[in-house]
Amino acid sequence: MSDNLYAQLISLTAGTLLLTAALIVWRRSLRASVRLLAIQGIALAGLVAVLGWHERTIELVLVSLLVLGLKAVLLPLVLSRNVLNHDDDREVPRLNPTASLIFAALLTMLAYIVCRPWMGDTDDPTSRAVPIGIALVLIGFLLLITRRRAASQLIGFLVLDNGIATVAFLTATGVPLIVELGASLDVLLVVLILQVLTGRMQVKFGGTDLDDLTELKD
Amino acid sequence: MSTRTRPDHRSIAFGDWTMNPVEAALTAELLLAALACAVAAVAPASMRRYLAGIATIAMAASGIVAGGLALSGHSGRLSAPTALPTVNLTLAPDRLGGLFIVIASAVTLLAALYAIGYVHGAADSRSAWLAFILFTFGLQMVPAAGDIITFLLAWELMALGSGVLVLTDHRTRPQARSAALWYAVMTQLSFLLILAGFAALASVAGATTFDALVTVSPTSTTGALAFTLLILGFATKAGLVPLHIWLPRAHPEAPSHASAVMSAAMVKMGVYGTLLVVLRFMPGGPAWWGIVLLSLGGISAVYGILQASVTSDVKRLLAYSTTENIGLIFLAIGASVLLASYQLTAASQAALLAALLLAISHAAFKCSLFLGAGAIVAATGERNLDRLGGLGVRMPWTAAAFGVAALGAAALPVTSGFVAEWTLFQSFIHGATRDAISVAVALPVAVAVVALTAGLALVTFVKLYGIGFLARPRSQGADDAHEVSHPMRWAALIGSGAVIALGVFPGPVAQVLASAVGIGDVATIGLGGLSLPSLGVLLDPMALAITALVCALPVVVVSALSARRHPRRATELPWGCGGARVSPRMQYTATSYAEPLMRVFDDTLRPEQDVVVTHATESRYLVAQVRYRQKLSDVIEVRGYRPLLEFVDRLGVVSRRLQNGSVHRYLTFSFVALIVVLIVVSL
Repeated sequence: MSDNLYAQLISLTAGTLLLTAALIVWRRSLRASVRLLAIQGIALAGLVAVLGWHERTIELVLVSLLVLGLKAVLLPLVLSRNVLNHDDDREVPRLNPTASLIFAALLTMLAYIVCRPWMGDTDDPTSRAVPIGIALVLIGFLLLITRRRAASQLIGFLVLDNGIATVAFLTATGVPLIVELGASLDVLLVVLILQVLTGRMQVKFGGTDLDDLTELKD
Repeated sequence: MSTRTRPDHRSIAFGDWTMNPVEAALTAELLLAALACAVAAVAPASMRRYLAGIATIAMAASGIVAGGLALSGHSGRLSAPTALPTVNLTLAPDRLGGLFIVIASAVTLLAALYAIGYVHGAADSRSAWLAFILFTFGLQMVPAAGDIITFLLAWELMALGSGVLVLTDHRTRPQARSAALWYAVMTQLSFLLILAGFAALASVAGATTFDALVTVSPTSTTGALAFTLLILGFATKAGLVPLHIWLPRAHPEAPSHASAVMSAAMVKMGVYGTLLVVLRFMPGGPAWWGIVLLSLGGISAVYGILQASVTSDVKRLLAYSTTENIGLIFLAIGASVLLASYQLTAASQAALLAALLLAISHAAFKCSLFLGAGAIVAATGERNLDRLGGLGVRMPWTAAAFGVAALGAAALPVTSGFVAEWTLFQSFIHGATRDAISVAVALPVAVAVVALTAGLALVTFVKLYGIGFLARPRSQGADDAHEVSHPMRWAALIGSGAVIALGVFPGPVAQVLASAVGIGDVATIGLGGLSLPSLGVLLDPMALAITALVCALPVVVVSALSARRHPRRATELPWGCGGARVSPRMQYTATSYAEPLMRVFDDTLRPEQDVVVTHATESRYLVAQVRYRQKLSDVIEVRGYRPLLEFVDRLGVVSRRLQNGSVHRYLTFSFVALIVVLIVVSL
């Protein structure tokens, strides 16, 4: 693969990651958010695959398949089952979408500023994409604090996790299969547990608004 | 546990191990402490106090041997590896440490002997005995420690054990809980300050052994910081004003054998720590160190004895008196540092010697006094002096022990207290110089402070003994009192014997003390008298006592002869004109005795007084009832601690708004923190 194509592909996948994150911030529909999350998973898997192809390591390609299976298929499936269970899939965020988008833009700028000493004036496409990973982490965090529904919290958490994975892949040019396997299992477990908790919330309170959970106990 | 071998021809060999005497004695103490714990844990309840008491006595005896060996100049080092690499737990007492091990062990021994006859109920429980053994063991290990980690571990063991002991009677006395809380908070504060101070020292020295810490310069910023933190920490443990607040609460609540150890030995560890700082880690400190110690000590001495003089609770009075005595010790240490910084070596050494004499003298008489107070409480069920009286004839042995110890506390001649204060005065008088303005101002003020303290101490202990043991009993409990069991009276008597022995033969004692801190210029003179050649002063109490006896002999003989010639006539007043005392309530009480003092020091003590007059219903010119109530509280607590605690309370209420249970708010906190960190990093 030529260096030019490699750079183009990295930029494309990283750009897709950022774009999907921004769209998740914008959309109110949970179903749409889950679909966007699946696209983000595909983009992440694509990024890993490009890296693996460029480095000529079969292990990274395997990791990319794992990422694809987990983040593009399995987790969105689990999430959409939760969403499809109830008819109401509208999120009422604590911050309106316009303000959220402005915040997301500011956070992306912050990510670029933070990474400036790292990037320097290198032309290495992987280093240039690192800020996108940081921006994903920050946007995921933003989703966590502005969304009310438990399912949206899960989506925010997964965006955050995608960001961490992106930074890990880009800075270390791929992580060993065993590490990625462990991290994936962790994420899967967290999502499953939260899924169960969300179900319990639904049964107990008849809704999944986190604002209902403010009673403090000693 | 591994033992480093060292070439010592008196070493004892165990197979491959060789131990010198100090190491053998310390090992024996560790084993005996473990044995004592095991005995206290498994002994049947009926035998527990005998078995555990004897095991504790054995542990204390081995402590006396170990401390005595270290004091006489033997060195030894026991060390055990820990989970952390390069960090070993080390026991390596030097001479000064040896002296304090002896003090702690001797007090423990008397308290354990006393406990055999004293403990019952909650104080005889398994947990109380375990706490007592661990507490006294920690107490003996603090001066034996050779590095920071061991020191702090032993310190914490001591604090935890004594904390449990303060809680012993929590079922029957609710105030024990609040006392234990105060104690726990203050003792943890002390621990944190000491930890921070040691951390400052270790950060410069680069190691945690005591031998390595000497590299820190006392005039450096770190030296000043470490001094401030450590002295504050040790002053908290020593109960100095304004950090004394736990002392008058915790001492009275603990069982008497425990309060004896706490007061006579545990607060001494604050003194030991201070001596470590100014003598071992950073010798030759600047003059302001001396001024700080001098002021802390002076204020504590006057405030402590003033509170003691007006309080009526026997154990509370003794606790405040502890603040006074420790204040005097700090005053002496401060004077020593101040004088040394102006090269007035002879006077400085005399002040240091006075500090050590005060320390052992206080250990002896305060131990005896607390044990005596425990005997009073056990025999009468009363702690309020206003309800005691007439115990002299009912409890003659306790009265004798208590009386002698009270003489020591009032620093009267032929007791140890007198020798100590005499030495302190000699140092102040001979240290006066016009060359250094701070010395020229500080020493005369210190003389005045010590004189005022001595006067008030005399009033306090006359009151304590006079109201408690003389006159007629003021309550049924005091009337029914009986002499306490043999172990209890012997423990108190041995303590009082030590007060007299130290007072009559100060020379040899002072020589031993001087050797502990490397002072050479002390000699024994005459019949065990004390001589300080470099100051040109000497004191021979034995000779004075004999002279006084010889002078008194003719008077005694003449009065005995005249008494035989004129037999005593019994006088019965048919009508006493109000002079005959019909009720014990018409006697002087502790409160009325202290009333003039209360008037004189009204501004400092701030007593709350209420007079409620109820008029008769027929006419408001007739009085049906007058009720007078007086309440004394610690001014520093009311003016200093209460507002502080209220402020913290309000802060707590305000900060509750941070925590409203919303997940989003908590997430926002961490998000904002992350953003701030990122912005700061990228700037």
